Amino acid sequence: MPLIRGGRGSVAPGATPPPVLEDSDAESRWAAARALAGKADAVPELAAALRRETVPRVREAILTALIRTGGSASAEAIVPFLRSEDAGLRAAVIDALQALPSAITPMIAQLFSDPESDVRLLATELARNLKASDATRLLCDLIEHEPHPNVCAAAIEVLAEVGTPEALPVLERCSVRFSSTPFLPFAISIAIARISGAEG
Amino acid sequence: MVEVDATTKARILVVDDSSLVRLYYRSTLERAGFEVEQAINGIEAMERVLSQPIDLVIVDINMPRMDGFTFLRALRCGPSDISSLPALVVSTESEMQDIAEARASGANFYLIKPVAEAELVRHVCVLTGVSL
Amino acid sequence: MDDREERGSRAVRISSEELERFCDFLYRRTGLSFSESKRYFIDRRLEERIAATGSPSFQAYFSLLRADADHEIEFLINSFTVNETYFYREDHQLRCMTSSLLGAIVEQRPPGSTLRIWSIPCATGEEPYSIALWLMENWPQVDNYNVEIVGSDIDTRALRAAAEGIYGDRALMRLSRGIVDRYFKPVADGKHEIDEGLRNSIEFTRANVIDPKDMARYRDFDLIFCRNVLIYFDDASRRQAAENLYDCLRPGGYICLGHSESMSRISPLFRVCRFPDAIVYQRPEADHG
Repeated sequence: MPLIRGGRGSVAPGATPPPVLEDSDAESRWAAARALAGKADAVPELAAALRRETVPRVREAILTALIRTGGSASAEAIVPFLRSEDAGLRAAVIDALQALPSAITPMIAQLFSDPESDVRLLATELARNLKASDATRLLCDLIEHEPHPNVCAAAIEVLAEVGTPEALPVLERCSVRFSSTPFLPFAISIAIARISGAEG
Repeated sequence: MVEVDATTKARILVVDDSSLVRLYYRSTLERAGFEVEQAINGIEAMERVLSQPIDLVIVDINMPRMDGFTFLRALRCGPSDISSLPALVVSTESEMQDIAEARASGANFYLIKPVAEAELVRHVCVLTGVSL
Repeated sequence: MDDREERGSRAVRISSEELERFCDFLYRRTGLSFSESKRYFIDRRLEERIAATGSPSFQAYFSLLRADADHEIEFLINSFTVNETYFYREDHQLRCMTSSLLGAIVEQRPPGSTLRIWSIPCATGEEPYSIALWLMENWPQVDNYNVEIVGSDIDTRALRAAAEGIYGDRALMRLSRGIVDRYFKPVADGKHEIDEGLRNSIEFTRANVIDPKDMARYRDFDLIFCRNVLIYFDDASRRQAAENLYDCLRPGGYICLGHSESMSRISPLFRVCRFPDAIVYQRPEADHG
């Protein structure tokens, strides 16, 4: 019979040299990052590795390792990469921060007042993890002082999901400010309808 | 008696992680007679273009799990039935380097958000060869 | 007012805006989407979950759902998808296996080599046995290779049932009379027991797809069926599971998800591959910068 009961595959622990984060071989860096998952004292090393890493899957492993450690040290190590010029790294970082809701919560207000509009925009996603009342408060504060239409749009997107009636006057004012900007009036009208239509 | 147009002009795939942006594009393009599909990031976009005929992809850059540039590069390296698919990038990124990277990744055109409805329809018509 | 009327008047009504909020959330989180015509279907299930969680309003339920309190996401997804297990479930993937995947895998593999296929989670064994049956029935090259099939699950009770290989009519409903006659024998209570040779050819093991220590014991799989489990995990767990599965695959190896699952909601590690019968995912042969 061609179906044979086998084992689990070739596993030879200890036969290969220990993987190293600085290795020139991506597979070794991948394995090293995975091995450092959950190790609090490895956070600086992992952050440094993330800075130099170009292979996407190794980046993922480094971020997962930091997520497994969790806590504010990990979140603080990851957040600076929101400023990266690399769209792939930014995408990976926002994903990673979503997995650290309690660590990232105290940082959201600060990110919402970051001097860079790109950072403020990306950070709006993180408000989804908050309680509706907290998310509404922070997003409304952002919108009231925000000159950049795309940042407002991103905040409105999240409010459409989590916003409470407290957001309504802020959204109305925003609609007036951006009355001749494309897309914003549309987005605001949807968000207002969603929030007003919520009966509970 | 309502006349039903049996042929839609073209099928557009809208790729953006914002549900409101997707809704905006969909309502605008459906009113103009296009059929619209959606995806939330580059991975889902790849699944869509591989499983159904799509005439144009409108793609954002900043999306979770797979960004727009990575998707475009994968598209251009994909099987022959999708590798030449016209792609319109619509992004918040407005630096020259982003536009250059879009070009290098295989975008046919680049628009900066937020995009007016008329402008969107105009470019979709041009890129799909459809006249209104 | 009698009991029924009272209950009716207290039932939570869902507005169309609330439904839109809910559908946007569900699509974002799982990839599940529904056309307008399915509105009643969604309403019913949503009302059931609101009642089951004792939520006084949609808003209260939605807050609970967003926080995934008490694994509500899992209950919700289960109420929207069909979760019955039976032989030859989602057979388009089995067809893809023999029509496309195995051919690609053995292209570089001499006859007599070993192919390794993993079903995780395997639950009560329908999936790994289906793989075995399908290969015997549909792969002309099955005699040219050694095929190892492993079935793993976190639930040891399910694994014991799998090893026993006894199934009722419902589990066998997709199998032809011929296959049932050839590979099963009737036992007590109108059930059927799968052929001893097949029972002995599947290795059943306990493994947790999230646990790196568990998963480190598995390597060099050519094909993994990981259906209807990843979509339930939270962010941290699905990342961990995806990386674990990546390591368990050979470069170029394939992974199949459940039919309403997509890697777009799970992980960017795998390449999307289209075949005539299915879309599957692949561990890339090599890294790209």
